[in-house]
Amino acid sequence: MKDGWQQYFWMRAGRIGLTLALLVVAGLLLRPLERPLWQAVKAGQPELNLAELEGALGQGILVGVLGGFRAIVADFLWIQTNHYWQQRNRPKTETMIQIVTRLDPRPDFFWFNGARMLAYDIPNWRIRELGGYDVVPQSVQDQIDYEQAMRGIALLEEARSFHPHNPRFVLEIAQIHNFRLKDTETAAEWFFQASQMPGAPHFAARIYAELLRRLDRPMEAYEFLRKHHQSLPKQADPMAEIVLERIRDLEEELRIPLPRRYFPGR
Amino acid sequence: MNVLAMSGRVTTIARNTFLEAVRQRFFNSILTLALAMLLGAHFFQQFNFGASELKFIADFGFGAIFFFGAILAITAMTQLFFSEMENRTALTLLAKPVYRLEFLLGKFFGAQLLMAVFCLVLSLVLMAVMYVRESALIERFPDSFADGRVVQYWDCLLFGFIQWIKFGILSAIALVIASFSNTNLYTVIVSFFVLVICQLQYIAQDAYGEIVNPLGRFAVWLASLLFPNFQVFNVGERMFVSVVEEPLGAMILLGIVLYGVAYTAFFLLLALLHFRNREI
Repeated sequence: MKDGWQQYFWMRAGRIGLTLALLVVAGLLLRPLERPLWQAVKAGQPELNLAELEGALGQGILVGVLGGFRAIVADFLWIQTNHYWQQRNRPKTETMIQIVTRLDPRPDFFWFNGARMLAYDIPNWRIRELGGYDVVPQSVQDQIDYEQAMRGIALLEEARSFHPHNPRFVLEIAQIHNFRLKDTETAAEWFFQASQMPGAPHFAARIYAELLRRLDRPMEAYEFLRKHHQSLPKQADPMAEIVLERIRDLEEELRIPLPRRYFPGR
Repeated sequence: MNVLAMSGRVTTIARNTFLEAVRQRFFNSILTLALAMLLGAHFFQQFNFGASELKFIADFGFGAIFFFGAILAITAMTQLFFSEMENRTALTLLAKPVYRLEFLLGKFFGAQLLMAVFCLVLSLVLMAVMYVRESALIERFPDSFADGRVVQYWDCLLFGFIQWIKFGILSAIALVIASFSNTNLYTVIVSFFVLVICQLQYIAQDAYGEIVNPLGRFAVWLASLLFPNFQVFNVGERMFVSVVEEPLGAMILLGIVLYGVAYTAFFLLLALLHFRNREI
């Protein structure tokens, strides 16, 4: 009886061992075929790239399991995110933003709104949790503003790895530096970076010049706008008119003599 | 072994398996559910916040094909295999000059024929839904479609074919498990576990390079070798909607098909290895 049981056990174990060995051999044989295929497929789907999913293995699993349904699941989770946002539930809102953006990183909507929640809304909640604007010292308020703004910027930086050619993410970072952190110098650098990207809105260049003026660098702003105006489409572009107006203002401010002033087409 | 006679016997078993499967309520229910979901994609569009409308519908279609297709591939294969065992028809069949390999191949090809019908119907419906929606969008926003239609309709059929190849691996895996297990339920559950692992195999493959601990590294490497990578078949977006920057080349698509066929053949041989020694 015992011998029969042992024989059965070893037979099963042998068969399982053989199956596993064969699976490994098949995996090894097919690996040279699989690797280039996987690289090609992965290159077009950043949501499958684990390097981008660092620290988010759970979301990586969701992405893998859901297949095509991840877009609709991300949409429903975004509704849930808004529910937590309305309740001013900070931990859940932040967690949901992370999940949704990693689950479906393709739409820019999730990134922008998530970053705005982190940088603009959550600081207010945190200050209220500590007693409100009248009670919390200014230094603590500034620290909270800084922390949350950096979280928003970190999210947008992540977004840039998925959308490297979209200038709107660079603009959003610039705006957080400008409006939330009141860091004109850094904001100007980001607006400049955005203005140099293909497809960037024209106002990026104008705001960059305006920030240079505020930084007491009007000559630099003037030179930049002159170059920018030349790069604008030649047709009667309303943007070109606005840029020319700014150039004229700066010429007045810098008291540039008439012969040295900018005249398009000359 | 006479190949011609063998293929004749395999075809007969496959045909009967297919007819038996089509008559089952389960197939019809899954097909109806998947179709309803696809046709309802426009309703779910109301919950869409970010992706473009056509991409959302395409995504939804890919999801429906994968989700319902995976359920059908596993349960149909398992049911068709075990019904022969439970009704004792396998005993009669194998008593005649029918080899066990022929029996397995017949069952597999019958189930694959069923999956072909499923993939074809769903791909055609997805094409129709996309066509109707794209036409409406062209009428409303002609400027956005100045370069013509953005959906590659024939690639939808190609995508359906690639999913069919993937379901072939899944059916073959279910057959391997069925060939040594005693119950229908056990086969279905284990097959679903394997499906999830195959969907996530890419995590093991990508994490391999990041792990420093040699033991952990070896374990992850082994795990990545034991299971096929199902994400390789996740190519719908790159094929279907032409706004993507870099569509997949023909060689890559051919490679994916080869990869699927090779794994299917391997799992069928593995199923034979277990089924040869099984008492019926």
